[in-house]
Formats: sequence, C-alpha cells, structure tokens
Amino acid sequence: MRKSLLVLLVLAMMVSVFAYGCAPEPDPDPYDVDNGEPVDVDPDNQDLVIAIGAEPENLDPLKMMSAPAATIAEHMVENLIYLDVDGALQPALAESWEPAEDGMSWILQLREGVQFHDGTPFNAEAVKYNLDRFMGVDDPDNAAVFAFLLGEVSDVEVVDEYTVQINLNNIFAPIASHLSHSFIGMHSPASLEALDAGEFVEAPVGTGPFKYASWDRGNQIVMERNEDYWGDVPMLNSVTFKFVPEAGSRVIMLETGEAHAIMAVPPTDIDRLDAEADIDVVHQTSVRVIYMGFNLEREIFQDARVRQALNHAVDKDALINTIFSGVGEPSSAPIVPAIFGYTQTGPYEYDPDKARELLADAGYPDGFEMELFHPTGRYPQDATVTEAVQAMLQDVGIDASLTTYDWGTYLDTVIVPPDEAEHDIYMLGWGTVTLDADYGLYALFHSTQWPPRNNVSYYANDEVDALLDEARVTPDRDVREDLYRQAIEIIWDDAPWLFLYDEGQVNGERSNVKGLIHHPLENVSAWNAWIE
Amino acid sequence: MLGYIFKRLMLAIPVLLGVSILVFAIIRFIPGDPARAIAGVHATPQHIEQVRREMLLDEGLHVQYYVYMSNLLQGDLGRSTFSRRPVVTELRERFPNTVILSLAAMFVATVVGMSAGIISATKRYSIFDYSSMVGALVGVAAPVFWLGIMFQLLFAVRLGWLPSGQMGTFKHLILPSLTLGLATAALIARITRSSMLDVLRQDYITTARSKGLAERVVTYKHALKNALIPVVTVMGLQFGTLLGGAVLVETVFSWPGIGRLMVESILRRDYPVVQGAVLLLAVTFVMINLLVDVIYAFLDPRISYGSKEAE
Repeated sequence: MRKSLLVLLVLAMMVSVFAYGCAPEPDPDPYDVDNGEPVDVDPDNQDLVIAIGAEPENLDPLKMMSAPAATIAEHMVENLIYLDVDGALQPALAESWEPAEDGMSWILQLREGVQFHDGTPFNAEAVKYNLDRFMGVDDPDNAAVFAFLLGEVSDVEVVDEYTVQINLNNIFAPIASHLSHSFIGMHSPASLEALDAGEFVEAPVGTGPFKYASWDRGNQIVMERNEDYWGDVPMLNSVTFKFVPEAGSRVIMLETGEAHAIMAVPPTDIDRLDAEADIDVVHQTSVRVIYMGFNLEREIFQDARVRQALNHAVDKDALINTIFSGVGEPSSAPIVPAIFGYTQTGPYEYDPDKARELLADAGYPDGFEMELFHPTGRYPQDATVTEAVQAMLQDVGIDASLTTYDWGTYLDTVIVPPDEAEHDIYMLGWGTVTLDADYGLYALFHSTQWPPRNNVSYYANDEVDALLDEARVTPDRDVREDLYRQAIEIIWDDAPWLFLYDEGQVNGERSNVKGLIHHPLENVSAWNAWIE
Repeated sequence: MLGYIFKRLMLAIPVLLGVSILVFAIIRFIPGDPARAIAGVHATPQHIEQVRREMLLDEGLHVQYYVYMSNLLQGDLGRSTFSRRPVVTELRERFPNTVILSLAAMFVATVVGMSAGIISATKRYSIFDYSSMVGALVGVAAPVFWLGIMFQLLFAVRLGWLPSGQMGTFKHLILPSLTLGLATAALIARITRSSMLDVLRQDYITTARSKGLAERVVTYKHALKNALIPVVTVMGLQFGTLLGGAVLVETVFSWPGIGRLMVESILRRDYPVVQGAVLLLAVTFVMINLLVDVIYAFLDPRISYGSKEAE
C-alpha cells in the first residue's frame, strides 16, 4: 500500500511538470456585430455549448484573474464601458464618460432603467458600491487582485441617481480603458452583501444578457437568457461553458458536435479542422507579445549593436510557420497592433550576416556565451521556441545555454533585482489586457517599474520615461497616440528585448453557429449568436 | 473480527500522519515562490505580499504544519487558494465522481478479466487462450491516455456511438471506465488464469472429477472460489491504482473527479487542495486494504483475524 501511495505521489509530482497557462484578460458587449441576419432559427434548438480549457477560479471581481473567468462572467455581468472587438470603447452601463477640465476627475452618466437580475435597480450607488469594494476602500486587505487598475482613483462620488464622479490622485488618461476591464463588472450590491465573510461570488447577479443557472464544478457552467435584458434579448436560450483541459478532447468535441465552439485549437489540428466542411476555424489576434528580454546590467548587453544583432539573428517567420503552423505575427512593436498607441516599427529583418557584422563592430567577432532562462508549459510551445532560438543564435556565434523552469519557479527566478539576477536573457510574455499602450509600455519600460515590478530588463531611458509620463496625463487621444509612437520608436531602436512574436489565437466553431464574437482578449462572446 | 478492525484502524493513524507530513513537505520543496505563482505575472508586490501572509509563507515549516494539523483535527482543511472555496466542499463534490468512475472501471476489470482468465485456464493453449493473453499483455502495456484517445476517436468520432467525454448520463461513463479498467482487466485475467491452473491441478479437483461431477460444477463451484483468493488481493491493490490512474483518465475525458482536481491544483500551487486530496486518497487506500483483508476471511475459512483459534 505504501508503494501505491508513493507511486501516486510521484505521479502527481510528475504531472506537475506539465504546466499550462491562461492569460488574465477581458469584457461585455451587445453593441457590435455584423454577421448577417438570422435564418433557419429553430427557437427550441438554441442551446449553445462552448468548450474551454480551464475552469474559472470564481466569478468575483475581487479574486478573478483568468481569461476563462472573464469570458464567462461577461455574459452575466456588464461593465460601465465595453471594449469592442476593434479596440474602441463603447457605452455599456455608462452612456458617457468625460474628464473634468483639470483632468483630475471623470463624470460618468449611467444608463437609466436597468435592473440587476435580482430586481435591484442599477444606479450610481450601485456603481460606487462595486468600485469601492474593488479598490478595498473599507477593507484594504481585501482589495481586488487587479485593484491596481484603479490605483489612481482617490474616491468615487455619487452626484445624483445616474451620475457618478470618479476622482483621481493624479491625472490618469487611461482610466476609461481601465474601467472597461472585465474584472470590474457591476454586480448587484444586494448579492454582494449577502456573501458571508471569506466567501466570494460564484453565482453572479449582474445586468447582462444571460443569467446564472448552475455551476457543476469541474464540468460546466450554464447560463440562461435574461428575458428582461435592457438591450436586445439574446436569441440563444442558454449558453454552457464546458471545462475540457485536453486540447485534443476539445477538438474531438467539436468534431462530434458535442461542442458548438471550442477555444484554443492546437496548431497541429488546424489544417485538419479547416478541411472539414461543417467546421470553421477562426483566427484572431491576441493582446500578448512573446519576447526575450536582455539583462541590461550585463556587460555584453550594454552595446545596442549587440542587442540589435540578436534581433537580426532570429528568424521569426520560421518560428511561426514551423512551430505554430503559421499562427501569430513577428512582433512589429513592443505591443500588438490591437492596442491603442501601437505604431508599426518592425519587425527586425532576419539577416544573420548583418547580425555577425554588428557583433564584430561591437567587439564580439567570435560571438559570446550567455545564460538563457525560459519557462516551460506557460506559453504555447515556449520550450520549443527557446530551443529554436538557441539554434539560430548558434548560427551567428552566440552560445546560449538554456535553463528551464516551471512557471511558479520561473517568475521568482527572473523577476528579481539586478544583483540577484542569474540570467543574461529571459523569455517572457505580456498581455496588454487594457488594450491601452500605458499598460503595455509603462509597466515594462518605465524606469520606476524595475523588479519586483515588471521592467525585468532593467531598462531606463529618460526620454522614454518622459514620453510615457506625459501620455499618462494627456487626455487628448491623438496627442497620446503620438507620444506612444515616439516612445515605441526609441524602444525599438534601443532593443532592450529580442522581439519575437505576437501570439495568435485559433478557435473553432461549427459552421451552423453564427454571430459568435472572438475577441483579441481571448474571449468568446455569445450574446448575439444563434444556431442555424 | 471487530477487535482486528479496530486495531487496523489505530494502525492507520501513524500511516496517515506520515502521509500528511510527506505531502506537506514535498509540495513545499518545489522550488520557487508559490505566492508569486498564485498571484500571477500581473500582480503588484503588495498583492504578492498579501498572498504570502495569507498562506503563512513567512512562518517556519513547523508553524505552518502545526496550524494545518490543528485545523485539520477540527475538520477544517482550509480554503483553496484558487477558487477560495473550502477544500472540504471541493473534495465532497469531486470525490464521488472518482469513486463512480473507479467502481465502474473495477466492474469492467472484474467481468472482463475474470471471464477471460477462467476461459483461458479451462481452454488452455486454445486460440482463445493465446489471443486473450496477448490481449492482456497489450492491455497492461498500453498507456491509458493513449488508449483513451483511441477510444474517443473510434467510438465518438468515427462511429458516433458514445459521447467523447464529460460527465452526464450512463453513456458518458462507458469510455472512461473502459479505458481505466482495461489494464486492470488484463492483470486480473493473467492472475485468474494462473491461479485457476494451479487449483485445477490440485487433488481435490481430481477427486471431484472422479466423482463424476460435471466439469462446469468442478470449475465454478470447486475451483473458482479457491482460485479467487489471490485475485481478490490483486483487485484490492488495483483499486488504489485505479484511483491513481483516474488522474490521467479524468483529464483525457474531462471527468470532474478528484484526480483532475489534484493535477490542476498542483499546477496552480493550490497547497490546501493538494494536501486535502492526497490525504483523502490515502484514507481511501487504507480503508480499501482493510476491506480486502476482511473479505479474505469470508472467502477462505482458514484465514481468521484475532480469534483464539488462529493464534
């Protein structure tokens, strides 16, 4: 018996080596879709099943941190502002949002006549209750995991029944984008008050087009149509999200019709599914870049020519085509095109001769040795990509020795102050989940954001700092966009990273399913969908 | 008998205590900061600090274990760091699903394994004997996740007879239990066969035959009961293996059992759930072993526990 136990333990430990990941991300909309007009709709056959890889932790704004949680929650719980599939901010529960003249506060006009699923009216008090809870105003130890999204908010004021004023500590232009983050959904205050201490939302009571029906842990969440929805009432009777961790099993469910749609089709199955007449493969960009950051405190990486050389030494197209069956794009900026503030500056052309030349100019004609740290099981094919990069670098004389970690260990190993860093170069990814360049650039390149924050390369450039600071406090979107363009151009030439690729997402759906929204934030939204 | 059971239960306590210490220590020896892993890449330093405080990570191992054990003795296994729900609730929801799957797999294993074993033994060196023993070899050797995917492709995709996974109706149970049970069936078949062959060579069987009893009666009434003793031992031990094998099968078939919960919790560094799940499985192992020993006594009158005559 002891032996069996041991076997079990060892097995459990072995399995722990395979790690998987899902990005935090997300958001709600009923406000944009153009997928033709419904035909052949059988009202009795409108129960949609979507298979996703991971189960949400719970659906409480305080504790939510995964894309599956966001995807599911947004069907039941709406935000004040919705970030649509094209990256534009759309009115949701707030009809308008305007900064005050000094930029130190924002006025939000709320939609009138909206009720939560439990009949509680939606109004300014409800907004204040939700935002205060999220920020941990009464209980700082229980602020939301993502409370930093509202880090610049000093307090929330109820002006009248349908007007809210959000006061800021500093001018903070991206606030509207941050309010659209789907972890900041509006729950019925009555439902939140009913929670016992230590308990978190599992059956959300929101204002959304679907109402919570049931959650069978490890199996599925079922939602039913909200007949009293304030917008267009959905055609679907119900939406079921099934939790299917094995990608191969999800593909099989799509093929057998057990699922109408699946998320994250493995690259190896794309061609086969594409060839099936009744299955559509849907490609969408994501908001995540994958990169290898240089440890800029290291002697070898002080010279920009060396950093540029490495960028020229790696064939990004080859990585994407061979490892990802063509899904993804070589990075053309430190953030992906879907993000507000993006400017195309790259990609760095694959040119090993130029790389060798740059290395020789910088005093390394014979290349050098370096320590490359990377995670395994966190990003799709992360270890394979690293090995391919290693081989390409070898080709220009750079000898990278690989150190592999599982995710939990990895973060702790690379996100450290310079004097503790063992790596010369490290692989990481970043999803700009607010779809605003501030979150992608400030967090990763501003000199105030060194570890334990996320500027893991120890990048510091006064010009970039100044541009990012200014963009934060400039309300005008066109001016901000220009500031980010300048910052991106400097960062690109400085090359604190070996820029790799923008991840793509590939979902699958049965061809009789219409109107599903596949969002860059790794959401699949079904409020406008129907089954033919 | 009752005294024996009581003694065994008492002996289980140090075993379970050992298991709890082992699991507690092993997951904490995984390098890296679990607070970092739990809080995620977007977390602020304050939040990571908060997680560390909640999990008592700043305290020594002995303090953590003391707090864990004193809560455990009050029936409190803590809360999942992932879902924030009580671990007891998580386990209560998932464990029955694993039991259902394991029992169904055991049923498959017993029916298939014993029939194949008995027929092979009585029709020794026949085509059936050879083919079922080769089949058993394959059954033991085939990895369950591969077998599971093959079954999905054949019965769900090609033939469309059965659902490919998930829990639901009785039909949903067929493929996972078949996948999980076949390796054990193979083992049981081989043990049954050799044990039957052993028994069939005994003198009393020859006597029974010479009395003119029908071969069927000899096989099933006289031989089988004695041949079953080693088979029951193996079944008992195998039930534990089934619970372990459920880890893989539950993942392939998206079965909401405790095995999958355990794997996912390890990946999330969800210490309280991992500890609770392993402890629960350990208790189950101990109980099953006890049950097997008790069943022996019924199968074989020569075995008795704790009675004067046996000593």
